[in-house]
Amino acid sequence: MLTFVGLGLYDERSVTVAGRDAIRDADRVFAEFYTSRLIGTDIETLEDTLETSIELRDRAGIERDPEPILEAAESEDVVFCTAGDTMVSTTHTDLRLRAADRGIETRIVHGTTAQTAAGSLTGLQNYRFGKATTLPFEDAHGGDGVPDSVVATIEGNRGRDLHTLVYLDIKVDDPHWDESDDTYMTASQAAAMLSEPFPDTLGVVVARAGSPDPLVVADTLDELATQTFGDPLHLLVIPGSLHPLEADALESVAGADLE
Amino acid sequence: MGRRKKIVQECETLMDDPEHIRNIAIAAHVDHGKTTLTDNLLAGAGMISDDTAGEQLAMDTEEDEQERGITIDAANVSMTHEYEDQNHLINLIDTPGHVDFGGDVTRAMRAVDGALVVVDAVEGAMPQTETVLRQALREGVKPTLFINKVDRLISELQEGPEEMQKRLLAVIQDVNDLIRGMTEEMDDIEDWTVSVEEGTVGFGSALYKWGVSMPSMQRTGMDFGEIMELERNDNRQELHERTPLSDVVLDMVCEHFPNPVDAQPMRVPRIWRGDAESQLADDMRLVNEDGEVVLMVTDIGVDPHAGEIAAGRVFSGTLEKGQELYVSGTAGKNRIQSVGIYMGGEREEVDRVPAGNIAAVTGLKDAIAGSTVSSEEMTPFESIEHISEPVITKSVEAQNMDDLPKLIETLQQVAKEDPTIQVEINEDTGEHLISGQGELHLEVIGQRIERNQGIPINTGEPIVVYREAPQEDSREVEGRSPNNHNRFYISIEPLGEDIVETIKMGEASMDMPELERREALQEAGMDKDDSQNIEHIHGTNILLDETKGIQHLNETMELVIEGLEEALDDGPLASEPVQGSLIRLHDARLHEDAIHRGPAQVIPAVREAVHNSLIDASIKLLEPIQQVRIDVPNDHMGAASGEIQGRRGRVDDMYQEGDLMVVEGVAPVDEMIGFSSDIRSATEGRASWNTENAGFQVLADNLQPDKISEIRERKGMKQELNPAIDYF
Ligand SMILES: Nc1nc2c(ncn2[C@@H]2O[C@H](COP(=O)(O)OP(=O)(O)O)[C@@H](O)[C@H]2O)c(=O)[nH]1
Ligand SMILES: [Mg+2]
Repeated sequence: MLTFVGLGLYDERSVTVAGRDAIRDADRVFAEFYTSRLIGTDIETLEDTLETSIELRDRAGIERDPEPILEAAESEDVVFCTAGDTMVSTTHTDLRLRAADRGIETRIVHGTTAQTAAGSLTGLQNYRFGKATTLPFEDAHGGDGVPDSVVATIEGNRGRDLHTLVYLDIKVDDPHWDESDDTYMTASQAAAMLSEPFPDTLGVVVARAGSPDPLVVADTLDELATQTFGDPLHLLVIPGSLHPLEADALESVAGADLE
Repeated sequence: MGRRKKIVQECETLMDDPEHIRNIAIAAHVDHGKTTLTDNLLAGAGMISDDTAGEQLAMDTEEDEQERGITIDAANVSMTHEYEDQNHLINLIDTPGHVDFGGDVTRAMRAVDGALVVVDAVEGAMPQTETVLRQALREGVKPTLFINKVDRLISELQEGPEEMQKRLLAVIQDVNDLIRGMTEEMDDIEDWTVSVEEGTVGFGSALYKWGVSMPSMQRTGMDFGEIMELERNDNRQELHERTPLSDVVLDMVCEHFPNPVDAQPMRVPRIWRGDAESQLADDMRLVNEDGEVVLMVTDIGVDPHAGEIAAGRVFSGTLEKGQELYVSGTAGKNRIQSVGIYMGGEREEVDRVPAGNIAAVTGLKDAIAGSTVSSEEMTPFESIEHISEPVITKSVEAQNMDDLPKLIETLQQVAKEDPTIQVEINEDTGEHLISGQGELHLEVIGQRIERNQGIPINTGEPIVVYREAPQEDSREVEGRSPNNHNRFYISIEPLGEDIVETIKMGEASMDMPELERREALQEAGMDKDDSQNIEHIHGTNILLDETKGIQHLNETMELVIEGLEEALDDGPLASEPVQGSLIRLHDARLHEDAIHRGPAQVIPAVREAVHNSLIDASIKLLEPIQQVRIDVPNDHMGAASGEIQGRRGRVDDMYQEGDLMVVEGVAPVDEMIGFSSDIRSATEGRASWNTENAGFQVLADNLQPDKISEIRERKGMKQELNPAIDYF
């Protein structure tokens, strides 16, 4: 049996009770933290709290050589966990399909994910989000500046009057990335990059979703580019036009000045 | 005023008068007497003392050149010569004769309009005579002929007038056959064959400093009989005084080589593919010294005081200190710190160097040999270097830890000065690799690092560079990214030989306008549709994008190319470079989000697809081969041909030439390492020999597995091949 457990957004206490139980009961627990991280905790604390020991896999250990996980899951109860949810922005469908191919039973225990936090913290309606996109670090996608596809996604959503959730790049465990460079893209960096294709455009920053003191700030991208928002992780939402209730929410929780 | 200062002043006056400038190169097979002749010309022009000409070897400025007695780097020198009551400025570039340094010869030809081809009367036209002639003609440079060492025919071989005439005519005939063959298909060149009657052939002795030509005989009233008489009786000083070599040659230069005003209208379209209707094109054709500045850099040297010096031909405008100029292939501008001309090995700073001249410039820190430098951004000149294919590699290591940074800097400099050298820096191990055209080439570079830079180094054994190439058409193969979300569908087939050649010669590249590239490749036999789908050329490999309207592929193409280049630089057999493959990208499936189709995903996917299709195309190992020619007395002929055959070589021809036998054949470079000492002992030192790189050829099937495993072992790769490689 292979159980996919989403650990949620922030620290060792973000996981659901069902997830915690699955982990406690498992014979072996694998995890990857190269797609995202639990910023508010570390592996040891996680292991202590969940009363387990975690076998960490790097990117190659999931994508290239998933064998040890699959082999274990053939005979034992195995949990594979990640930050957020295992199947939303971090797409581990491939691993699930490989397991299914080998006749291994699979199960999913959800975690809260950036996708839901973006709606719930900002008051922007879940029904009005279009396609999400990730903004890569400059030079990390084989070109310069903002990739055309990111611009096209935001434009497409705005054209249909939808909000865009922009995930910000995380560089972990990437052989093509120099260690001295930034690890987490900040919302100010992202706002600066996007303010060129989108001048005079409203953006909403969500920092440390899932933590006890998340921060939500709405302003023009140019303005956001000049501010700092503290520790990672950050998200950025580019809203379409605002429903009156959404506007009220942004003014109330995000200090937006929408006059 | 010193003699030298006076010449500099004369040069400065003449610089503004392009009709009386000649830019020339002297080119020859090694040892035929280029350097000795150059010294004669310098002495004739008063640049070095008459007595030491012939011994001084002013052009061989590097210590190692004087020791070896061969010219390695092309050096530049300017001199003046009075012809028909008119003073002329002659800018001369000496070129190396050894095949290992062929890149220098081509570069020198770019700067000049005339090439004086020197041929040894005893040896006749040799393989490198052919090579340098070809390099000259390809650049649109007009040849004349000087037959040297005629003293040996007279005094040493004791030939009579008839015998001698026959021999000289045979040399002329051979050279003309070469010229005719090479210019046949060039529409812009009518008849560039040389002839005694027209005065485009001279004879003489560079060593004893006398020379004759039809015009000189008419002028001095000396006929051939008289000359033979004086030479035979050892009256060489008198001969030199009455018919000095330098006058004969320099008169020929002034009379028969085109000046820049005549030459540039024909040369510019040959070496520059920019807009022919533009003002810039006009400026270059007309040698307009008031036009935009255009400098073609042909050589980079280092001066211990002034630093890096770029030398090259000014095609338009006037170079002056303080100008901010663009350097092709780099962003931003460089500021000129000084301009000068060459006098022997030395540089003379002057205020300005106008169009039509050869200039020495400091401050162009981004320029490499081959750069186009200009005051407005422009289409660069055609690349001079044909894809240089290094055949031998050596490791280089600093003996002292302290020298590590300096060695890296020096190696990078070496690559900048000589684009036929490739350098691979490995900062982790400190064991760097340099690759070049032959054993000697690398040996010389190694010695320069030790001597000029004072860095003691250890070098490894020479290692032959192999290639890998597909042998048949592959099926369509899929490559998947590690996350499985991105898939590429690729097939590979061998490229036609003519197409490979066209790329090698620089006649089709990604730098040139698309239409021209298409035409060149179609002419070489490429299918019309294919030629329109070209996305990238890497080495002699071409990527075609045959996909239609795939979203996000545009944005991913740079990564596709990165993966492709990685796969081609390290072939699937032994991580040697892949050549001659046509790669078709048929289809691709990409993840919606840019982050899931980043470098970590796309590069390995493409790499895998390329390698698997190469394997499906039965990729094999290729080894470099050399043409070998040995001149040897009859009784050592067996030993000489045995030296070729014993090296997995093939003897193609054996024939008598004069009193020597000539053995011609080919052999693998790998087996030729150490040839020089073996042939010497096999023939008791009586053989003279010459080799020339002749491309790559598929290694025999029965040798493939062992060679592959040997290379993998040397590189520390695992021995197991991809299991799909089951055809050996
Ligand atoms: N007998 C004779 N020897 C010559 C003559 N010219 C050059 N040499 C000799 O040939 C050798 C090679 O000459 P060099 O100028 O270095 O040839 P390069 O390799 O073409 O530059 C030297 O030993 C010269 O002294 C000549 O006219 N007559
Ligand atoms: Mg020489």
